[in-house]
Amino acid sequence: MPAPVVGQTPSLTTFLKSLKHSPIETSIELLISLLRRRQISHSRPCALATAHLLLRVVAAERLKPTTDSTVAALRLIERIRDVGRRLVAAQPREMAVGNIVRRVLGVVREVVEEQGDGGEESSGGGSEPMSPLAPAVPQDLRPRPRTPGDATPPNFDGPSDIAVNSRRPALASSTSYAGQGPQSTSLLSFLEHPLGRSPTATPSTPGTPSRKSTQDKQEKLDIKAEVIDGIKELLDELEVVDTQIAESALEHIHSGETILTHGSSQTVQKFLTTAARKRKFTVVHAEGWPNDHEATHATIVNGGGGTGIEDEKWKPLTSMGVTVILIPDTAIFALMSRINKVLISPHIVLANGSLLAAAGTSTIALAAQAHSVPVVVLAGVYKLSPVYPFDTQELIEYGDPSKVVGFEEGEFVEGVDVGNPVLDFVETETVGLFVTNLGGCARGYLYRVVADHYRGEDVDLSAAAAPNGKTVA
Amino acid sequence: MAPKAKKGANAQKSKGAEEEREEPLQAVVFADSFETRFAPFTLERPRCLLPLANTPLVEYTLEFLANAGVEEVILYCGNHTDQVEEYLKHSKWTRDTAPFSLEIIRSDARSVGDAMRDLDQKQLITGDFICVYGDVVANIQMEAALAAHRTRREKNKKAIMTMVLREAGDFHRTKSQNIRPVFVVDPATERCVHYEQMRPRETPRLDIAEEVLKEHVEVEVREDLIDCGIDICTPEVLAQYTDNFDWQVPRRGFLYGVLKDYETNQLTVHTHITSEGYAARVKNLLSYDAISKDVVSRWTYPLCPDVNMLSDQLYQLQKGNVYQEDGIVLARSSVINRKSVLGKATSVGSESVISNSIIGRRCVIGKRVKIDGAYIWDDARIGDDANIKKAIIANEASVGKKCHIQAGALISYGVSIAEGTTVTGSSRITRAKRQRRQSKDQTAEGPTNPKIVGEGGAGYEMEVDEDEDDLVETLLSGDIYNMRKLSLSADSISTLDSEDEDEDLEDSSKRRSSRSESFASIGSDESGDTRRKATDFHHEAAASIVDALQKNDDVNNIQLELQALKLASNAEDKQVRRAVAVALMKRIAGLVESGMAPKDAVAKTVPPNQLLITRCVTTDKEEYSEQVEFLLYMQTDLLHRQQGDKILLFACNTLAHKDLVEAEGFEQWWEDPRSSATDELQAVRKDTKQLVDVLVGDDDDDEDEDDDSE
Repeated sequence: MPAPVVGQTPSLTTFLKSLKHSPIETSIELLISLLRRRQISHSRPCALATAHLLLRVVAAERLKPTTDSTVAALRLIERIRDVGRRLVAAQPREMAVGNIVRRVLGVVREVVEEQGDGGEESSGGGSEPMSPLAPAVPQDLRPRPRTPGDATPPNFDGPSDIAVNSRRPALASSTSYAGQGPQSTSLLSFLEHPLGRSPTATPSTPGTPSRKSTQDKQEKLDIKAEVIDGIKELLDELEVVDTQIAESALEHIHSGETILTHGSSQTVQKFLTTAARKRKFTVVHAEGWPNDHEATHATIVNGGGGTGIEDEKWKPLTSMGVTVILIPDTAIFALMSRINKVLISPHIVLANGSLLAAAGTSTIALAAQAHSVPVVVLAGVYKLSPVYPFDTQELIEYGDPSKVVGFEEGEFVEGVDVGNPVLDFVETETVGLFVTNLGGCARGYLYRVVADHYRGEDVDLSAAAAPNGKTVA
Repeated sequence: MAPKAKKGANAQKSKGAEEEREEPLQAVVFADSFETRFAPFTLERPRCLLPLANTPLVEYTLEFLANAGVEEVILYCGNHTDQVEEYLKHSKWTRDTAPFSLEIIRSDARSVGDAMRDLDQKQLITGDFICVYGDVVANIQMEAALAAHRTRREKNKKAIMTMVLREAGDFHRTKSQNIRPVFVVDPATERCVHYEQMRPRETPRLDIAEEVLKEHVEVEVREDLIDCGIDICTPEVLAQYTDNFDWQVPRRGFLYGVLKDYETNQLTVHTHITSEGYAARVKNLLSYDAISKDVVSRWTYPLCPDVNMLSDQLYQLQKGNVYQEDGIVLARSSVINRKSVLGKATSVGSESVISNSIIGRRCVIGKRVKIDGAYIWDDARIGDDANIKKAIIANEASVGKKCHIQAGALISYGVSIAEGTTVTGSSRITRAKRQRRQSKDQTAEGPTNPKIVGEGGAGYEMEVDEDEDDLVETLLSGDIYNMRKLSLSADSISTLDSEDEDEDLEDSSKRRSSRSESFASIGSDESGDTRRKATDFHHEAAASIVDALQKNDDVNNIQLELQALKLASNAEDKQVRRAVAVALMKRIAGLVESGMAPKDAVAKTVPPNQLLITRCVTTDKEEYSEQVEFLLYMQTDLLHRQQGDKILLFACNTLAHKDLVEAEGFEQWWEDPRSSATDELQAVRKDTKQLVDVLVGDDDDDEDEDDDSE
């Protein structure tokens, strides 16, 4: 009698498991095929898988100890770009993949710049090899008054950075986009409390004073280790992003309000749960048929989470004394006049503030606009893409029509074209406010967040890498 | 890393270690379906490499298996093994990064049953495995089916197989149209208790055993299922195939047999009927058409063109299920309507209209062309003003200007249709000609028939083989007349065969009606049935004898098996004779092909096994009709075999020598009109004339002398 056979459908869980013991090239191919087969879909799993994979890619990259750090960095960038291109090509509509790739590229560039910075301070000779990369982020082209060393976006800053006084102004300036009433304070407060971040995030961030003490060590600074630390920080960010967004819940949800939401987003649920601890309000929940209604029902009845690898379980809102009303999608417009606020968690926020969100969101947003109900978008920074939508049709994924009409309906299959768009394109005009893990942000200021997190030269991943890294627009 | 994540990682690790101890999930893929339903295209390429929506079929199958988490795949090739190997060698499935290990097995198996027996011998299977054909297109989640199979196995070790079936309602384009499988299922245990195949134009009537109805409180008769050929098997299945050497196909052979032997073996077969997901087999041209449509309309999501299964594909979905790759040149006034696929570097001339069609890469389509519902593979050329309906135009074929290709036409590789020709719907035009019996894979250029392809064209109408008795398939649905016509013409090629079968048919219906008057009313149904049984018997018997001969089995055993089979299927002596004659000739021809001289081959095959002949051909009576029949069967079988004339000569010589056939027998055979009905028949027996003359002469001369003629 043979042992029972395992037949596990590949998923994010199996991917992360196999990542530990399979060769890097196999893992890349595996992720590509998983993305193609849509076995890893939605922003968060895609982002997690990509970040974990890139961590392995960087760790597996062999850099000769004698190699000059700039050359090493260029090779790393080249490698990451190459992997990134393949991942993005596998499923171009999962933009979170591209976002994470760009963020990791940003980490590498930043490490190099930090080092170049340090090199200038310590020895004149050290700065020479850095010069090819230095113009990559020329100060005059950067709109913010920073030294190149401060290119670190706020969320990359370790607690040690906050301790460095000289960086204060830069930080303040980089968070200025969030400066609207209570948001700005909330953002600053979370930055000042290292508790808000992952407790293990004590990175050996470049620029720590200890480094300056020994020049030799700093010369051969291990770029790889720095980058790996950077990616780990990114992973930590992905892990706490929903909690961070939920921290501003109380500023948006007030007692007695009626909130409309849609689908089974973990972000929205955490947000509402956090608010429910202090406030009493009513939630109207549109079910999101046909792609999401089962998950929505389960979320309302049982709470959710516990399925993914790092998802926490949470209790259903009803158990916290919140009235939840489940409505079909068709009733949205009729009920909109009673709604005080709409909460949406999109798949992707594009650079101009328009959204790609689960099908049905566009209806909600337009109905809200017609009734002048504010639409609040909850999105982690990792969902923010530097891509501008030119052809909106191309961005929309069409799913399995059998969710709309069963495949067994032979006459339907034969005679009717059934389309099942998974995503909706939501125009930016309908969105009132974005709440990210860095705090709230108005539509018009979104470009600042984009500029803080992505390098101009990384926006177009498919473009061939410029020689010597001299790609400055 | 956060402690929480670490904990998660630890948990995964321990779980991973646990799973490593378990058996890997295996799958067996039959890249060859051992049928000829895709002729003429399969003359030159294996079926699993035919493009479905511009992606080879086998990609869909392997993608499905990767999807199901399979770790080891064993791929059985039949025809065109080299091409399959060559293709897979360059595909992503054999790279280090492939999700499973792929083993390609070259085999000369003639049926799924043979392959299964081979598999059992090779001992490659360690645990439960998924068994699929190389033409499955499916996106169903196998987890549930596997789990159900496993729990059943734990409870009852006799549950040896689970068939995955997809619900498809009353009418469905993707459902099999010619042969409709009927499953009788006990809903409580999901056990399949009875299986039958219905043919169209037949009174639907099931022959359910009494015990079945007694034992099961509730049974469901399901005719609404798509049988996609996905089976979850235990190693016991292989053992069963080995025990029952005559099982050839998984359904009509294996399933039928297991159900019949339930009383003795207690083995059960279960079903997993799913109402979610997509699963179908590209069994014939009809389902090729239906599944292509399903793929384009995204019912197979995510296995749609824009998934880009091949690494060099770059399809993008556009409005109205139009998929386009890069580098397509469309004239400004051309129109691409809904549900079309256009491959890389294809160009479409001005004012051309393309709708519901799949067009491969690098095709050149002229001006004012109308294409509706056609399948045009890579590198085809379509001239100006051509009008193409639902037809298949294969790679590198060219259609001239102002041609009309009517619905249902099949135009194979490299065929060229001259300007202004009309190709009718029943045409199957090819340039390849099968080299009989030499090697299945080799083809040669056939003669061009200007009547079909016009002056200056290249290609000819494909011949339909007499031993390919599967229904010849067409692309058009509901076109039963068309199909009937074709199958009739298939019969008419070999007069002897068809006559015989008609006789069988008449005989049996006569017999039945005389036995019981009440049968007369449904005589027509019955006769169809017996006729089917007769062909079944013939195939089984012939195949098993050839098998046994190859293995050099003891002749007594062969005779015993044959006898058992005869009794089991209630076959007549005549059929046994035919089977023996065909099997012996097949064996001899096989030896000749492998390089043996015809004389040696005959000497090696006939004398040791003469018992078989004596048992079915009587010589002691003054009645020679059996001998004549035997010779006729031999002659017909040798028609298309390599060196058939030589074999016939030596075989006759041996038969005469061993007194298996008497001189009178030869004489009557020679004079029998059936033996000289066609030119081919005459050509085959030409060499034997001398021998017959000598034999007959001898006989006339002297009766008491021992004939010492050669």
